[in-house]
Amino acid sequence: MCTIVPISKTVGANRIVPTVAIPHPLGNPALSREEEKVLRRKLVERALKALTTEVDGQTVFEQ
Amino acid sequence: MRLTLGKITIKGLDFGSATRVENGKLFVNKEELVALIREDSRVASAEVFLARPGESVRIVPVKDVIEPRVKVEGPGNIFPGFIGKLDPVGSGRTHVLQGAAVVTTGKIVGFQEGIIDMTGPGAQFTPFSQTFNVVVKVEPVAGLHQHDHENVVRMAGFKAAAYIGEAGRNTAPDTEEVYEWPSLAEAMTKHPGLPKVAYVYMLQTQGLLHDTYVYGVDAKRIIPTLISPTEVFDGAIVSGNCVSACDKNPTYVHLNQPIITELFKRHGKDYNFVGVIITNENVTLADKERSSNYTSRLAEMLGVDAAIVSEEGFGNPDADLVMNCRKLEQKGIKTVLVTDEYAGRDGSSQSLADTTPEANAVITAGNANETIVLPKLDTLIGHIDVVDVIAGGFSGSLRPDGTIEVEIQALTGATSEVGFIKLTAKGM
Repeated sequence: MCTIVPISKTVGANRIVPTVAIPHPLGNPALSREEEKVLRRKLVERALKALTTEVDGQTVFEQ
Repeated sequence: MRLTLGKITIKGLDFGSATRVENGKLFVNKEELVALIREDSRVASAEVFLARPGESVRIVPVKDVIEPRVKVEGPGNIFPGFIGKLDPVGSGRTHVLQGAAVVTTGKIVGFQEGIIDMTGPGAQFTPFSQTFNVVVKVEPVAGLHQHDHENVVRMAGFKAAAYIGEAGRNTAPDTEEVYEWPSLAEAMTKHPGLPKVAYVYMLQTQGLLHDTYVYGVDAKRIIPTLISPTEVFDGAIVSGNCVSACDKNPTYVHLNQPIITELFKRHGKDYNFVGVIITNENVTLADKERSSNYTSRLAEMLGVDAAIVSEEGFGNPDADLVMNCRKLEQKGIKTVLVTDEYAGRDGSSQSLADTTPEANAVITAGNANETIVLPKLDTLIGHIDVVDVIAGGFSGSLRPDGTIEVEIQALTGATSEVGFIKLTAKGM
């Protein structure tokens, strides 16, 4: 899970989940607590899906 | 646009009853300067110290270094957007107290500010060991939010530099430099046959102690745009950043922008220098894509053959640098990149966080992870205890005998990515 996808590709990551911003990859201080919870849950679920998906080379999980 | 920079060479520094320049020596009225800084109700205390080249003085934690300048003719004033009105600068006449600098220090804001040594091995790694420094130590009132604290100290530096700059208003300069910046229509038809060159001037814009301002605007909120070099010389771009102080551009460096100055030297002989594009380095991928898209679009609209691209900082801004490079090259615009390296203390790690095959002409300003041992110096201005926590420092950096071991990234300007340092390397 990372914000700057091109760097993840450069370092050779296989499963890449794009996140929010460098200072707050898994949250967003501009959102309300409730909205942020939804965002965080979505990102974690996407990461779990990525972990359980077979990949053939570098794959970015946009959704 | 035509700007004359009248440079008054400063060869000495002392306190005096009036702030003035006399036979190349700068005198500063300490009480008047302190009173000016204390006008801000968020300032709890302000002190002024002097640090001259060669003296056994260490300044830490350093936030910004600013050259005193004053607008003598033409619209506007130095540091537009922060001092005085917002009239556009870059034409007329500006006087420079060359050799003098204001250095801001005081309680640490975050955990990452710089060191300036006026003598010893550390002095070789910072250009500001060579300037006559008026050091302004500002402590904020209790309970001030970090961002306000940073603003208080930043503003104190600009005010001090503008106040001291006034001493040059009626002083005859020792040297004069004239810079002309034509309209685009004129620039495009001048010097036929010579390649057109632009400078892509990347500005650090990642938040607290990582920000840069253009005419008072936080540059993270701009899309890339054009600026006249003469506006840069008049303080349209100022620093609010010093994290990993080796490769951040203090305001002094923006005012004396070395790449722009060098580009002028061979302009009209070897190439036609037609544009300066400022862009930012933001914290989201979408911002990085947008800014690099628009940087290359502006270069394309200028119709340049080549561009020099300088980075400010390291780590994720390496991605901005690489995107700028790739997108310019894909439009057939040749690039040269200027950066520094974080290659580990032994220099064997990957130097940048991102790469691209198009980046085949890269200039390095050195490896910021190299360590250096600094001797104990007689006088300390600021707070020495922060040495263990600033970027480049580590637990145990400050040794019991008063010596310091740090990475050179802690030294203000040590690996300047616009080349504002005289350190060079020789082939083995």
